[in-house]
Amino acid sequence: MRETIATPAPPSRVPPVTPPRTGLWTAYASLLRWTTAQIGAMLPLFVVVQALLAAGVVIGFGLLIPGIDTPAARFLSTGAPTVLLMVIGLVMVPQGVAQARASGTFTYMRSLPVPRPLLLLADLTVWLAVALPGIPVALVVAWLRYGFGYDLDWPVLAAAAALTALTATAVGYAVAVLLPPLLAQLTSQVLVFFVLLFSPITFPASRLPGWFQAVHDVLPFRPAADLLRAGLLSGAYGARWQDLAVLLAWSALGVAISVRALVRRP
Amino acid sequence: MRGAVLEIDRLTRRFGSVVANDQVSLRVRPGEVVGLLGHNGAGKTTLVSQVVGLLRPGGGSIRVAGADAVADPAAARRRVALQAQAQAPLDGLTPRTAIEIAGRLRGLSRAGARAAARRLAAELDIGEWLDRRATPDGGGLSGGVRRLVAFAMAAVAPVPLVILDEPTNDVDAARRRLLWEAVRRLGDDGAGVLLVTHNVVEAERVVDELVVLDHGRVVASGSPAGLRGTGDRDLQLELALRPDGTDPSEPPAGPPLPVTRRVRAGRRVLLTIGAADAEAAVAWAAALRDSGRVEGYALTPATLEDVYLAVTAGAPAGPAAAPEESR
Repeated sequence: MRETIATPAPPSRVPPVTPPRTGLWTAYASLLRWTTAQIGAMLPLFVVVQALLAAGVVIGFGLLIPGIDTPAARFLSTGAPTVLLMVIGLVMVPQGVAQARASGTFTYMRSLPVPRPLLLLADLTVWLAVALPGIPVALVVAWLRYGFGYDLDWPVLAAAAALTALTATAVGYAVAVLLPPLLAQLTSQVLVFFVLLFSPITFPASRLPGWFQAVHDVLPFRPAADLLRAGLLSGAYGARWQDLAVLLAWSALGVAISVRALVRRP
Repeated sequence: MRGAVLEIDRLTRRFGSVVANDQVSLRVRPGEVVGLLGHNGAGKTTLVSQVVGLLRPGGGSIRVAGADAVADPAAARRRVALQAQAQAPLDGLTPRTAIEIAGRLRGLSRAGARAAARRLAAELDIGEWLDRRATPDGGGLSGGVRRLVAFAMAAVAPVPLVILDEPTNDVDAARRRLLWEAVRRLGDDGAGVLLVTHNVVEAERVVDELVVLDHGRVVASGSPAGLRGTGDRDLQLELALRPDGTDPSEPPAGPPLPVTRRVRAGRRVLLTIGAADAEAAVAWAAALRDSGRVEGYALTPATLEDVYLAVTAGAPAGPAAAPEESR
C-alpha cells in the first residue's frame, strides 16, 4: 500500500556512457600490482620459512640415515625443492585464499569489472614468484651441508620448476575454494604430512609397496620430484613424459576448479 | 523506461526456505540518489550481490544501464561501481595506489587515474594519508580512512551506476559531510546512486527516493517528504499506553483531529498529525493523561524514522484508516 505522493520531476541528466572494456593487459597488470602489494609484504617471511624448511629436509632427514653416502644425500637434497614448492602451494596458498574469503577480499575482487579468470592468473603469478625462490634456497642449503655439485639441465629444470609450482599452487587454490575455510586448512595440514612422510620425494619410490607406487604414479608428488631431479642431476636421472602428463593434468584440474569457483554465481 | 541506470523488476531470490528478495522492483535514474533501507537481514546485500553478478536471481530481471545483469553479468559489472560493506582489500597499498589501480581497472589512463586520486583525496580531505601504507590487521590506516578510500575507489571513474553499501561506517562527522557532498556530486555528474543503509536519519538528508525493504519485500517507497506525510511540517504525537494496553486513539473513538498515520510499537502509539492541529492534539492528550487513560505523551517533529518504524513494524505507511497491527 502506498500513499499518493507528489513525486519530484525525474532528473533529466544523462548517465555517463558505459566505460569501454579495459584492455586485458592493463587489467592484468593492475591486478598484479594489487596482489603483489597484498602478498608482497610477507615475501621476506616466506623466504625465511623456505630456508628453514629446506634446512629441515636436507639436514634433518639426513640425520635419519646413518652414514649417509653421496648418492643418498644427492637424492634427498634434490627432493627438497619439490617439498618446498608443494608446501607453498598446498599450505600457504589455501591459507591465503581462505583468509581472502573470510575477509571479503575474494568477493570484493569478484565484483570488479574484469574477466574473473584474470583474478586467478594474477594470484597464480604472484604465488609462483613467492614459491620459486625456494629452489635456489634448497640447493644452497644442500650444497652447504654436503658440498656436492649439480649437473643442471636448464630447459628441463625451468619447465619442471614452473610446472611443479603451478600444479601445487593451482591445486592449493582449488582446495581453498572448494572446501569451507576450516576444512581447507585441515586438508592442507594433512597434505603436508602426506608430502613430507608418505611421498617418494626425498626417498626412492622403490621403498614403497607396489600398490602405493601405483598410487603415486597418478598423484603429482613423485612425478614432480622426478622431473625436478632430472633437471638438477641430468647425468643420473632422466625426465619421463608420463610424469609431465600427470603434472599437466593436475594443474589443469586445479585451474579449472578455481576458475569455476571464481566465475560461478550460486 | 528511458534512461534508467538500474531497473529491477520482480526480483526474487531464495536461500532454502528463506525468501531473501521477494518480488522486489525498484528503479534508479541518472542523477538520482536512491536509498535502500532495511534492518539487518532485510535482503539489501542479497539484492546488491545479484546486481554485480555474485548471486544468480531466482526470478525477475535486472538491467544496469541497458545491460541484462542476469544473462550477461560481465557487461553489467562494467557499468556499476560497488563500494561493498566489507572493507576493501587495501593491505600493502597506499590510498593513492589503491585509487589509481581502481581507476586503471575502470579504463582510466595512467595520468587520468593519478589526477582522479588527487581530486578525490582533496574532495574527501584524506590528503594527509594519501601515501601512508595500510598494513595487515587494520594497521597504518584507520577504519574510517579505509572506508573513504573504498568510496574513492568506487567513485574514481564515471560509471552509470554507483552502489554504496553503508559508506559512512567508521567515518568521522566532518568527513561524513564531505562524503555526502561527494555522493551528491556523483549524481550531479550524471550517475545514478543506490545507497544501501540502515541509517535512516542520515539517508533522509541525501536521498531523492527511498525504498524500504522488510523481510525481502518492498514495504514502502517514495520521496522522503512524501513518505513522511503531507510535508515537512508534520508533527508526531506519541502516547505512552498503560500496562493493560488499551489504546484510546483506536478508531472509531480516536482523537478529535485528522491523523495521517498511526503506528503502534509495544506500549507506544505514534500519531502523525498536521502542525495546525498541534493545539488540539496537546489538549486531547493532556486530558487523556489527566484522566489516567495514558501514562504520558510527547509532541515532536515527524521524522522519516517514524515512517521507517511504521512500515517495518508491519503496518503500512498509509492514512490512519489503514488497519493497525499491534505486535
